[in-house]
Amino acid sequence: MSAAGTLPPDERRLGAGAPIQDTRGDKIALACIYTALALFCLAILYPIVYVLSASVSDTHKVSAGQVWLWPVGFTLDAYKAIFDYDAIVSSFGNSVFYAVAGALVATVLTLLAAYPLSRKGLPGKGIIMAAFVFTMMFSGGLIPTYLVVDQLGLLNTRWAMILPTALAVWNVIITRTYFMVTIPEELVEAGKVDGCSDFGFFWRIVLPLSKPIIAVNLLFYAVGQWNSFFNALIYLTNEHLFPLQVVLRQILIQSKVDPSQMPDTSKLAQLKELQQQLKYSLIVIGMIPPLLVYPFVQKHFVKGAMIGSLKG
Amino acid sequence: MPNDHARPGLSRRSLIAGALGLTAAAGGGVLSACSGSSNAGTTAAGAGGAAPSVTLGPKLATVQYPEGYVGPVARELKPITSEKVTFKIVVPQDVTIGDWKTNAFTKWLEQKTNIHIEWNQVGGTDDDIMTKVNAMIAAGDIPDAFMGVNFTRSQLFLYGQQGLFADVGQYIDGYALNLQQAMKDYPDARKLVQAPDKKIYSFPNINDCYHCRASNGRTFLNTDWIKQVGLAVPKTTDEFVEVLRAFKKADLGGNGRTIPFAGYKDAPFDTFFMNSFLYNPGEPWLVVNDGKVDVTFDKDEWREGLKFIHGMYAEGLINKDVFTADQDQMDRYGNAPGKPIIGGARSYYWGGFLDIDQKDPNARWRKYQAIPPLKGPNGVQYAAWNYLGVGVEVAKLVITKKCAKPELLVQWADAQMELEAILRGYGGPKFEWAKKGELGINGKQAVYGFSATWNTEKNISWSQENTMYRSQDFRLAERVNPADLTFEKPLYQQTVDNYFPYKQPQEMQFPPVTLDQDQAAQEAELKTNLKSEVNLSFSKFVTGQLDPNDDAAWNGYKDRVAKIGVKPYLELQQAAYEIYNG
Repeated sequence: MSAAGTLPPDERRLGAGAPIQDTRGDKIALACIYTALALFCLAILYPIVYVLSASVSDTHKVSAGQVWLWPVGFTLDAYKAIFDYDAIVSSFGNSVFYAVAGALVATVLTLLAAYPLSRKGLPGKGIIMAAFVFTMMFSGGLIPTYLVVDQLGLLNTRWAMILPTALAVWNVIITRTYFMVTIPEELVEAGKVDGCSDFGFFWRIVLPLSKPIIAVNLLFYAVGQWNSFFNALIYLTNEHLFPLQVVLRQILIQSKVDPSQMPDTSKLAQLKELQQQLKYSLIVIGMIPPLLVYPFVQKHFVKGAMIGSLKG
Repeated sequence: MPNDHARPGLSRRSLIAGALGLTAAAGGGVLSACSGSSNAGTTAAGAGGAAPSVTLGPKLATVQYPEGYVGPVARELKPITSEKVTFKIVVPQDVTIGDWKTNAFTKWLEQKTNIHIEWNQVGGTDDDIMTKVNAMIAAGDIPDAFMGVNFTRSQLFLYGQQGLFADVGQYIDGYALNLQQAMKDYPDARKLVQAPDKKIYSFPNINDCYHCRASNGRTFLNTDWIKQVGLAVPKTTDEFVEVLRAFKKADLGGNGRTIPFAGYKDAPFDTFFMNSFLYNPGEPWLVVNDGKVDVTFDKDEWREGLKFIHGMYAEGLINKDVFTADQDQMDRYGNAPGKPIIGGARSYYWGGFLDIDQKDPNARWRKYQAIPPLKGPNGVQYAAWNYLGVGVEVAKLVITKKCAKPELLVQWADAQMELEAILRGYGGPKFEWAKKGELGINGKQAVYGFSATWNTEKNISWSQENTMYRSQDFRLAERVNPADLTFEKPLYQQTVDNYFPYKQPQEMQFPPVTLDQDQAAQEAELKTNLKSEVNLSFSKFVTGQLDPNDDAAWNGYKDRVAKIGVKPYLELQQAAYEIYNG
């Protein structure tokens, strides 16, 4: 403050070497923004902290409403219980597999579709693009798709989770826009002059320049796979292939079943106990992998997604 | 049934036919499902003509039965076929059942019956399962049977008429001897399971849960509190309010936290309180008066009931969030640390509002007791007794036309109605035959007992997804372990004492009817709209957003439900009711 005070007013206004004095209005605005953001952050953070605390607390203390923020009656029983259920353990492994494999396959497909569509010289580009967009608005419907999957022999295999609906047209559009913006036509020409083939150009020039968009695609697809349950529900009939979400639905949502529909009280009690025991630890298990991945991809994520959206 | 509902019916039927053809043409694995049979392709081949030679095995001598026992009997199970036969069955996935293939009961049953099952598990909630099953059916990817999939009566009828589901009725006489006995024990059973065309499209299941018949109206009060305020268990609506006022005044929960009476959104209020004004079984509020189907929610008595409940709510005797609280919130009230804070609750059983600790003889849940229905100002006092909706069930096992040897699956299902198979089927292998002198829930000689309260082990039972024959006598013949008092006995006793005596005549209950496809669609829409209007207005009247004493508000409500279509709704139900009665 004292240093700033000695400076001539002009220099202070220019801000050379000294912090700019905020006006009163700015201060108020800043305070508001920080408060709003803090509240927003709290609104997101609190449920996570609560679930984490509840998952390591005594279930009876949780259901008595004694857990507010920190764990009460610390215990890891809920996590131990998870290992008693083979279905949960194997489904977790399956989900990881589907997320990784699905993201890889889908990202490769997306890049291969988006790059040619971003180049000017592609014949029939408009028609191909229209065909892609058409599928965004119209789908074959559940039964025809089921028949196709059945006839292809994918029913009840891991492929049924990865191949059908692998490609998201939305991601193709974002990726195409990214290519159009970051890989100028002049670069292609320069490559051609030096004797680079189309594939060579894609492999040596385009891919190394596209790390952000690749990261975005991987993340989008992986999270999409991680959260999805419908394909598994429709195409899989083998417990050993189920992803985590299907099992989560059975335990967490099914247990909320209307008691009047449940003919047997002992079964009701059993479901309630099961749910109380596993609810929070399952939610934690379900959210950990995306939480682990996000920080590593985030810097690309912001950049890649912004380019796609801003200039698209 | 006539073919006049051509458009939706025909298109779906032709789609299915086409789909079946496609699958067959592709030579898919579906048709080889009944691998034991050489003529698997001829799906329509019934075994109705073949002379059955099925007999029951000899009774086990070691098992004790109380006098006058009506129910399943322990017999030696005989193999159904000499050569192993495989069937493909679709079942729900369930973490407590675990892998159906390695499940203990699966192995036991296969060893006894020589029938091998290739399991197809479907995951998710009940709604999810129905989505998947409908997709399978529409795509022609049909197993030999569905087990534990909750088809409605109307769905069974629809698919049965389309020829997709087998009529098991024709096999019962020849092949299902345990079921035959069960249907003799339960004379209403045939009427309840058959479709309007007199065919039976699923293997019936009998689970005669006595206390479930009163579940909809069960209501609890804290008997310790009643003693502390020096009153008696209330018998009338006025006494009830008096007790709640006393709870509130004495603030027995401490620090003003007392909630004299609590409710939550999953346990409707009307099924208890309205029965002090008129017989009301709850959603969809259908009753039968002298052979005429009627609804309860637009009657003047209903309005009197609304005034009564609104009065309690306005006085602060009921929790503010009674219409929004969920099970978690209710548990927070019920399990409040230190002293209990709720004086009573509307709930199907104790687990609806607190955690049940079965080991502790002084556990909190034991302080709450079910109270009888209250006598209203005009002397009305009903316990809505579920004569027809509990006991005989449909859809546990549905055999499809894909199955080449339905008579074997029928025998397989029938084997699960044998006493030991029942016990292993829902409770696992850790059962014991009761010794002479050991008593059951109803105080008579017990037949069996389990070492654990209810099974916490995984992968040992089918968790009630299969067909069983659990008669009332059977259920009440479970040994009561004096050292491990479960809630089954008090639930039974309090139902005997407090609800059974006040039950309405059976003719007043609207039975489970079957609708055809068009009716079902129309009914579903009307029902959904009526349900939301009645529930919404109920909560508004109770919380005071609408004043039940105001004629305009009440008439407005009556106009709204009439506009939605009470009349066509009742006409539909009346027609179905008449078909049900033949």
